[in-house]
Amino acid sequence: MANDIITGRAWVFGDDLNTDVIHPPEFFSLHPDKVKRGLFHKFDPTLQSRLEPGDILVGGKNFGCGSSRETSMRSLLLNELGAIVAVSFARIFFRNATNNGLRCFTFAQPDVRHTIVEGDRLTLDVSASELQPANGDSISLAPTGPFIQKIWAAGGLLHMPPFGPSA
Amino acid sequence: MAGKTLSDKILDAHALDDDAGATHRRVRIDALLGHDATTALIADAFEERNLKVWDPDRVILTNDHFSPPATAERADISNRFLAFARNCGVKHLMLDRGICHQLLVESPLCQPGGLIVGADSHTIMGGGIGACATGMGSTDILYALATGTTWMRWPETIKVELVGSMPDHCSGRDIILSLLQQLGESGGQYRSLEFHDLTEPKLSQDNRFAVSNMAVELGGKFGLFVPDEVTAAYCEARDGVPPSGLIRPDVDAVYERVVTIDLGAMRPMVAKPWSPANVVEVAELNETPITVAFLGSCSSGRLSDLREAADELQGHQVDPGVRFVVIPASVEVFKAALRAGYVESLTEAGAIFNHSSCGPCGGIDKGVLGATDVCVSTSNRNFRGRMGHWESQTYLASARTVARAARRGRLAPDLY
Ligand code: SF4
Repeated sequence: MANDIITGRAWVFGDDLNTDVIHPPEFFSLHPDKVKRGLFHKFDPTLQSRLEPGDILVGGKNFGCGSSRETSMRSLLLNELGAIVAVSFARIFFRNATNNGLRCFTFAQPDVRHTIVEGDRLTLDVSASELQPANGDSISLAPTGPFIQKIWAAGGLLHMPPFGPSA
Repeated sequence: MAGKTLSDKILDAHALDDDAGATHRRVRIDALLGHDATTALIADAFEERNLKVWDPDRVILTNDHFSPPATAERADISNRFLAFARNCGVKHLMLDRGICHQLLVESPLCQPGGLIVGADSHTIMGGGIGACATGMGSTDILYALATGTTWMRWPETIKVELVGSMPDHCSGRDIILSLLQQLGESGGQYRSLEFHDLTEPKLSQDNRFAVSNMAVELGGKFGLFVPDEVTAAYCEARDGVPPSGLIRPDVDAVYERVVTIDLGAMRPMVAKPWSPANVVEVAELNETPITVAFLGSCSSGRLSDLREAADELQGHQVDPGVRFVVIPASVEVFKAALRAGYVESLTEAGAIFNHSSCGPCGGIDKGVLGATDVCVSTSNRNFRGRMGHWESQTYLASARTVARAARRGRLAPDLY
């Protein structure tokens, strides 16, 4: 069960961050170690080793566009990323994240994303839909509807009926 | 009551609950598509749960990413996939037959009005014959494979009207690149793109597939053509019987917006590195020497693409500075191209043929790019690093443009 309060450092990206950049196809594998190492490998080969559990990715429009390969999602989970906050998400990526319990939020006001700088300490309050930078005003996030929350609460799609306890 | 769009009608017909006001609803699916790479990811989780495929007759699985495998690790992935498919008793396990999306549209399981999910983003290509077809990740696919259902939100629809007559040297690729130029990479995000072919003569089915395939590059959930006589003729030739009851949108359907593209004014288009929406007309390009030309992928690699390339290269030679890799989208396409003489023309001109598979699209197999390579490709994504090295560059264009550039050794404003 993921926490209701997620704390970590910000890693800031731009618009249209695609899944080939998030996780290059060369790292497609059934071996978790290889999948884990591939995160952002071509974009910045040093990035993956600098991530810490709970860190939060901050993105622009259309985060996660491109391929449906769920190795991108597995890699984010294996690296224990805390959440992703972006202006908008690509459809398949959002589903993959939701189905695996990774919290994806959109900004209530897209422009505030520019106030977040790389390395900022962030606290994400999942039930209040609020992002609190260490220095600065709290940032409102668009509330997630009940359907998505139900999947989060179950711990992911594979814990939903008929696989998990009936709701 | 406001009228319904095509995807509204198709989803309504597949809804399992009557909670019409809910944001997300359960729907039943008509068919499911999977390939070696993404299906292998679910094999353990599926088997550990002792699950059964909801309807093995409605599942198409194929190995296309690693066909045949080039490394021992890929052979292991491939074997895991094959063991899973055989264990499940899936009826349509198609070993080394081509790219999954092409195999879907060659199958009677892909019908106008159908709802199809696939473990790959370009499943959306089934929209070329009026199906609500969409790609998903492995977890979604595991759920759908076991239950025959999935969760969906009813998308808003963008109506795209195609009018006028397309010039001979343009194709479906130029249409979708032009739409990407207009709307951008997120311009169709979560939307159903509903294509109305009002052109004269109507677009061929191959051109429609090229358009639908890249609707996902706009962020689309569905990219479907309103079925018509072209759809019916294609299905009848494929299935031996005409499709039953073609669904059409209501005349008073509510659209989020309407985009009109006049094909009469269409020019050959190119997407420059590193975005499929970074589109200009060929005539606006600077002279750009190329080292690789690629004709293939699920986006193209169909018979009409091979014909256009063969026309361009008949009696000519590929520039000595260019490696020209050709991959027919399926073995059926390859056989038809053999019969038509296109394989011979292209081979005589210096092109090389690889087995029907994904190949260098996705940086997977023979033909991947090195740091200094500049490639012009009929594939659908020129994301940075996708076809190989992070420094390599890919331009996306039609089969005709790829063939002309291969002959000239460069992309140039006067290719046409
Ligand atoms: S040809 Fe390319 S885009 Fe199509 S399924 Fe294969 S890797 Fe994906």
